[in-house]
Amino acid sequence: MTAVAQKRRRRHVPLILVAGAAIVVVMVLLGLIGPWIAPYDPTMFAVRSRMQPPSGLHWFGTDEFGRDVLSRILAGGYYSLAMGFGATAISLVIGVPLGLIAAFYRGWVDDVIMRIIDLMISLPPILVGLLILAVTSPGLGKTIVAVGLVYVPIMTRLTRSVALSVLAQDFIEAAAARREKTVYILWREVLPNVWPTIIVEASLRITFAILLGSALSFLGLGPQPPASEWGLMIAESRPFLDRAPWIGLAPGLCLCVLLVAVNFVGEGLRDLLDPRMQGRGHG
Amino acid sequence: MLVYAARRILGMVVVLFAMSAVVFAAIHLLPGSVAHMVLGEYATAEAVAALELKLGLRDPILVQYWRWLSGVLRGEFGQALSIDQPVARLIGGALERSAALGGMSLLLVAIMGIALGIHSAVHRGSLSDRVLTMMQYTLIAIPEFFWCTVAIIVFAVWLGWLPATGYTPLADAGLLQWLRHLILPVVCLSLGLTAHVSRMVRSSMLEAIESRYVLAARAKGVPERLVLLRHALPNAMLPAITVLAIDAGILIGGIVVAETVFSFPGLGSLLMYAIQNHDIPLLQAGMLVVTAVYSLATLAADLASAMLNPRIRLGAAH
Amino acid sequence: MADALLDIQGLSLRYATANGSVTALDDVSLAIPRGGAMGLVGESGSGKSSMLLAMLGLLGKGAAVTADAARFDGQDLLKVAASLRGRRIGTVFQDPSAALNPALTIGVQVAEPLTLHRGMNWREAMERAEGLLAETGIHDPAAVLKAYPHQLSGGMKQRAVIAQALGCEPDLLLLDEPTTALDVTVEAQILDLLDALRARRGISLLLVSHNLGIVDRICDDLTVLYAGRVVEQGPCARVLAGPRHPYARGLMAAMPVISHAKQRLTSIEGNLPDLTVVDPGCNFAPRCPFAVPSCAEPQALAGEGDHRVRCHRAAQTATLPWPEQKNEAPASTEATPERRPLLEARGMSRRFAGHGGLWRSLDWRGGWPKLAPRKSVVAVDDVTIEVRSGEVLGLVGESGSGKSTLGRLLLRLVPADAGQLEFGGTEVPLRPSSAFCQQAQIIFQNPDSALNPHHTVQEVLKRPLELFGIAKGAAVGAEIDRLLDLVRLPRSYRTRYPHQMSGGEKQRIGIARALAGRPRFVVCDEAVSALDVSVQAAVLNLLSDLRAQFGLSYLFISHDIGVIAHISDRIAVMYRGAIVQQGEAAQVLRGPHHPYTASLLSAVPVVGSARSQADNRIRLAENPMAAPGEKGCSFASRCPQQLGNLCRTQVPAQRRLSNGVMMACHLPDAQLETVALGLS
Repeated sequence: MTAVAQKRRRRHVPLILVAGAAIVVVMVLLGLIGPWIAPYDPTMFAVRSRMQPPSGLHWFGTDEFGRDVLSRILAGGYYSLAMGFGATAISLVIGVPLGLIAAFYRGWVDDVIMRIIDLMISLPPILVGLLILAVTSPGLGKTIVAVGLVYVPIMTRLTRSVALSVLAQDFIEAAAARREKTVYILWREVLPNVWPTIIVEASLRITFAILLGSALSFLGLGPQPPASEWGLMIAESRPFLDRAPWIGLAPGLCLCVLLVAVNFVGEGLRDLLDPRMQGRGHG
Repeated sequence: MLVYAARRILGMVVVLFAMSAVVFAAIHLLPGSVAHMVLGEYATAEAVAALELKLGLRDPILVQYWRWLSGVLRGEFGQALSIDQPVARLIGGALERSAALGGMSLLLVAIMGIALGIHSAVHRGSLSDRVLTMMQYTLIAIPEFFWCTVAIIVFAVWLGWLPATGYTPLADAGLLQWLRHLILPVVCLSLGLTAHVSRMVRSSMLEAIESRYVLAARAKGVPERLVLLRHALPNAMLPAITVLAIDAGILIGGIVVAETVFSFPGLGSLLMYAIQNHDIPLLQAGMLVVTAVYSLATLAADLASAMLNPRIRLGAAH
Repeated sequence: MADALLDIQGLSLRYATANGSVTALDDVSLAIPRGGAMGLVGESGSGKSSMLLAMLGLLGKGAAVTADAARFDGQDLLKVAASLRGRRIGTVFQDPSAALNPALTIGVQVAEPLTLHRGMNWREAMERAEGLLAETGIHDPAAVLKAYPHQLSGGMKQRAVIAQALGCEPDLLLLDEPTTALDVTVEAQILDLLDALRARRGISLLLVSHNLGIVDRICDDLTVLYAGRVVEQGPCARVLAGPRHPYARGLMAAMPVISHAKQRLTSIEGNLPDLTVVDPGCNFAPRCPFAVPSCAEPQALAGEGDHRVRCHRAAQTATLPWPEQKNEAPASTEATPERRPLLEARGMSRRFAGHGGLWRSLDWRGGWPKLAPRKSVVAVDDVTIEVRSGEVLGLVGESGSGKSTLGRLLLRLVPADAGQLEFGGTEVPLRPSSAFCQQAQIIFQNPDSALNPHHTVQEVLKRPLELFGIAKGAAVGAEIDRLLDLVRLPRSYRTRYPHQMSGGEKQRIGIARALAGRPRFVVCDEAVSALDVSVQAAVLNLLSDLRAQFGLSYLFISHDIGVIAHISDRIAVMYRGAIVQQGEAAQVLRGPHHPYTASLLSAVPVVGSARSQADNRIRLAENPMAAPGEKGCSFASRCPQQLGNLCRTQVPAQRRLSNGVMMACHLPDAQLETVALGLS
């Protein structure tokens, strides 16, 4: 390695990461305190002000029951965030340990875990959700679990493949030559090298979790009315698209802004942390 | 190659059997009796008992499974509960219409995604690459149902150019009318996936362009256009095919959503109908058929990449 | 040079990086006459590979190439490079597995330049390609034409690469480390081929290499690059016989040479300079033992005749001896290694199962799956070996010979299928005790892979200290300091991460980690193979000193017989899982040799005698990829002295020769004597 490479490189933080993170922070804050800052009661019917277009009084208009669309959006942001973060957390909690175990033990343990994962992957993602939500009564919790399970195989495969390449490195053999315990090797030697890849994937996964969760809600298999989950709000607005498009467009646009911002964070993190870009000394 | 194909096909059959068991088990073993699901929560005990007897729900689960599976193997999916029609006929028609929708979307995604991906990789860092990249980042994240909703508002409600919902068979109404119903759903389904595919093609193409063998080709004096087409592209296509297979799975989710929005009478609508009406035979069969279609797509992708990859096609020599 | 085919004067290369503009090449001049061969030598970071790409015009966008003059056959090379590539200038890159396109057949790749530059149609081009493959020594060119790269061995691939470079009958062949990825016996065959091509076609060569022996074997002239500058240039024989620039001298003295096996190596302290800062003076001065203040003045490449040196003190320093290195080890106990065996392995064997699980072990031949016994590969086959207290046992063999597996078997890192292992007189079970692990440690080849990128030096060294109960609490810090002193690194390195250290420094940390538990036996698995020659010398010296200081025993594994000869007391030669010869180092090197040992020794190009040696080289039998028979001698299929049926059907037993060397060969003693070498 040359002297040049020895200088610690200050990585260039991508602009999309900054912009995306700023929007996500604002949306998370709004999602958390939304119900309290909403100008109207999001569940209050007002028959006389049904389907009013956006105005100073109702920034995003009102829906078919006269409910304030902005207030409903503020109250419902929480659902998307919960689905995105919750489902990703589930896929991490189940998928990462499975991947590590499969990579470490190899042999039949690996075979069994990976065959189950193959089976899960051979079902199209939406079917897993449909299957679970068709046979139980729908609700936020179940949507989160269903979406989380869909992404377990991806996390397991990714963790396994990265862990396999880490486990092939000599410092693992050095640990084996000291007779280190399995837990130490996985926790102290393997995991720190696997994390960057997993964090990037998880941050990208949040986008897809929100996407799938809101699609399930849109199909009526998520939180049930009168919940103001954004996907559900869009679905409910469909009969009124010709007369009052804002009922569906407003939550739709909010959902898009959230998703694009989250995706920017993920892609930005990938640029920043991509394992291939990481500074390893070469001649 | 034949050995590989045989192995993959056998693997697919195994997966389908396993999936049939999982689908069946999920529906029959999860809390809540099937009869209650069909009749609703407030059904009388007698009605439940009668239905359970009629559907053979009191037999041991394995007997029920075997009865269902042997029927499926003979091509008999039974009678739908909510409509008086054979499941097979319902699914057959829906599958045909969904296949048109999905096939056209996948074709569009493949052509556009690969072309744009190659363009971005070749012109890396240029203005068009940066614009495309930002579009990819954005389009990947926007849900199909949003596009569907916007498309209906703009093209059906405001402009009135295209029908908002429904379907006309190709045989009845002719090509133009048939296409008019397909355009909006196909485009809405393709936007996000095109972004995804082009992104993946870009990165695999870049990897190929930066490889030693491309450098070696340039050192041989191969003109740049041939360097890209003959040397880089075949290697970049392998990951692209895998991505297309993955996206076929995402596309199935999109089809369910798009068919619901556009009231398109395909397999997705049928599945949603079965769920809403607790039509167990229809639901089981529909899920199995969707899984089979997806498995076939994955199989086709695997075989295609095996064809392209001499390592698999010929096996390793030593 | 008036009749020069290639004449480059004052070529510089700069490119922009995040840390500023890097001057990768600075005022490089070289000329190659028609039919001549120039060697371009330097360590990693010297810019030698960039030189080739700059000449070809294949550097990326951010690179700026300037030159006072760059003429190829009278044309301005920098302007017309694109039209010369593949037509008049052929290129052979380092690693043939990476340089061949995995998706295209060899035929397409060899024929392609012919279709492009010679206007042939594909059928004509393919026919010509077949001829080219035959010319590069491929025996079944028609079959290879249709093969894909992954179906060929490394040597065959490199022949194919050379064939595709030769297609349009170029005047100049650029070779970038053409044999570095190959085994030494294959390397020798490729060098023979290059020599023959030069003689037959009158082609000019520019050979980039880090290996002086190869350059001496092939080239007429030599250019030594250091950090982007030419430090010495001249006829190969004269430069190598009497290098005058301190860097070139250091480089020569750092190479372990079989004929002077026990001489202490010279190492060059320090690291490459920062290329973002252009040093107006001599950029080697910070590392030079002869540097004086006036070295900060600009230096010119000067000298009498065609041997030129960029050092104003070359005349004065030429007669000065290289100063003794600091940090010399304390009194050596090397003279009397104890003869007591420390580690004994008997009948060690290890097979590796083929890939895949149960699923893959189904046999599909005949259309219906059958459960077939899994194919397995013998890595180590019935090896009996001992390492004595305080001695270095060198284990040499080519890639895939099983030498690394054997090293791991001796540490019980890989469980043995059969065989016993004794350490210090007691049996070592398959799952060894912590005490055994403390006493038997390992040093790895690749310094990048040997250290966890997320652990500091301190964390790396602390773990074994605590685990083996060497030190606790405050004593740990003192012990870490002691270890860093031992491997001659500043104590301030405790807080460094691997990416903040050079390859040699990382390797020292790997050594310190192995020594932390105060072991008696260390497996050095290609411990210096990934390092540049000057760094390799420093690490070899360090290992020798540590061994003298602590009475350590090493199993020193290497593919490089020069390194093995330098460090070993005894040598074992491994071929396809079996030890074919072992004994005292001097005896093994002197002979009689096992035919494989002989081919190995004769294949290494040695500076000063590379040409003559090549003529006497022992050539291995054809078809090196022929599968070894299940029975018989594993070397039989390649052995030039093969006795026929006996060798093919019976495994030769180990027998002791009169000089004490163990030999596994059917050849009678008298005939073994004739497996001569002319090396003593």
